[in-house]
Amino acid sequence: MKKNIRLLVIVGLIVLLATGLTYFDSFLYHDPVVKVENVAITSKQTSTDEYKNTDTEYTQRVRAKLLNTDKKGQTISFRNTYYNSQLTDTKYRVGQQVILTKSGKGYTAKNVKRDTPLVFTFGLVTFLLYCMKFDRRKLFISVLINVVIYFGYLQIIIGTHNSILLPLTVVTALLISATALLVILGPTYSALMAYSSTVISTTAAILLSVFVLSMTGYSGMHLELDDFELQPYLGVFLSQVLFGVLGVILDETMDISSSLIEMKKEVVDVSAKTLFKSGINIGRELIGPLINILLFIVIAENLNVVLLYLSNGNSVSYTLNMTLSLGIAQLLISAIGIVLTVPVTSFISSKVITRR
Amino acid sequence: MLYLFATFVVLLLMVTGTRGLTLLFGLGINVISVIALLVLIADGFNILVTTGIIAIVILVVAIYMNVENGNTANTAFQTSLLIMVFILLITIPLEYWASAQGMGPENQDELESFSLAAGISFPQLAIAIIVINSLGVISETSVAITSGLNEIVSNKPTLTPTEIFNDGFSVGNKILNTQTNTLLFNFFSATFPLFFLIHSLGYKFTDILNDKLVVAEILTTLICTIGVILTVPITSFLVYHKANKVKLKKTDN
Repeated sequence: MKKNIRLLVIVGLIVLLATGLTYFDSFLYHDPVVKVENVAITSKQTSTDEYKNTDTEYTQRVRAKLLNTDKKGQTISFRNTYYNSQLTDTKYRVGQQVILTKSGKGYTAKNVKRDTPLVFTFGLVTFLLYCMKFDRRKLFISVLINVVIYFGYLQIIIGTHNSILLPLTVVTALLISATALLVILGPTYSALMAYSSTVISTTAAILLSVFVLSMTGYSGMHLELDDFELQPYLGVFLSQVLFGVLGVILDETMDISSSLIEMKKEVVDVSAKTLFKSGINIGRELIGPLINILLFIVIAENLNVVLLYLSNGNSVSYTLNMTLSLGIAQLLISAIGIVLTVPVTSFISSKVITRR
Repeated sequence: MLYLFATFVVLLLMVTGTRGLTLLFGLGINVISVIALLVLIADGFNILVTTGIIAIVILVVAIYMNVENGNTANTAFQTSLLIMVFILLITIPLEYWASAQGMGPENQDELESFSLAAGISFPQLAIAIIVINSLGVISETSVAITSGLNEIVSNKPTLTPTEIFNDGFSVGNKILNTQTNTLLFNFFSATFPLFFLIHSLGYKFTDILNDKLVVAEILTTLICTIGVILTVPITSFLVYHKANKVKLKKTDN
């Protein structure tokens, strides 16, 4: 117990130290960084637009002290305008650190310095993990390997100018799911079973969906409205679907196959047919919650743009059509994958388990 | 798209039989709740209050319609509510600190034709986004841990709090791993177009580290992970508390 507390104190101190360091790291920045000392609102204008949205535009004069560059320590001031709703602009507050760009003699605000809260939140997660008796090693290893693979993936798509996006995504998906399974289950038969089920059901779901969608020429889907209008549209969309659904399907295959292995241990002479049936029964209960996970993640991703459309006087149906059609298609393909996983995993597991 | 929906429904009914109808019904209620949330926020209702109320409705549907055992459902629901409150308590100061609301300079092209004076508080919306993002993960995690733990507890005659917590962590380990994977892979899914764009805009490392959209995505993933982590001790506590009550009743009789 004493050892635990000592470890906790050490982790806590490291977290605080790391957070503190980012507070004083402005010397690493090429752009001028300031700490806001004083703000005053110089003008304020409330207006109502044609869609009856009332918003107030403020102009603030910000006085701040330079934290880096050769003029360190000097106080400068700049002007900043923002709307009360702060969609793309920001209200600066006393104490905040702000990154500036120099334009001629004056300065304009570029961005809030966000690395301190970022590192702090990382630290908070780590600290909480150390507070509890989780198997942290496995978690850290799998997250680390997957992030490294993702980093490599990004480097390659940037290097190839996004020309082989989809094949690369497939390879990456195969790698990260293998990593996840190997770390959680170890190099076992059940990992192999779960892996093959995941690959087969995901492939089947995507091929089936692409077939159904291409029959109608992707009507009703605004593929060109993907994130940042990145091309190739279909490749980007399918890559997002693949990454999004992978974690959920892995969860599902692991659950079904490990339950069936347990069952075989308890009833030695169980038949493949019985195993298959109970696999379906177990999987049936998983479908709803797993679709829910993706439903809310997809909705949350698009919330900003949905509300921007709605507040600009667009109807609900037009808004949903323009902003969520891709999300809904992603969700439907994922849902098909989640449903297909149940019979596929049950079939593979029941055959493999009874043969052994 | 309609064909895609039809394919989903047919497959669902083939695999799950009549249970599929209940599932579709539950999903339908969730979709309607979400649309109601969007319309209410656009009409100017307070974002945090509306999100809170709709989130409770969604948790009720997600948990009580998917879990048949009433005892498990109650514990899971209480856990999810507590986690939601925790997430709000963590998110509000963190979002205030990071000012990672709304959209970034990368969205410029999309925003051209819009009036940006939307009259909606995007800092509050940023908090709502994280809460909604976590709903599915939280409800699934709490149900999985509660049912796993209840099964262990019902097979054991004696219970000490340490034992229940240890069992909670052994059930929780696998779930934490799988949920982290789900969150991480969804982070990959959401960010690879962003990172591609960022590269073509020639950002430096420090620019990326402070970029509004990148920080918002990372914060979402991390805060949802915190929700998953906290589920284990809270569930263990509630299960222990309930098991103790049942035991006390038994000794009274």
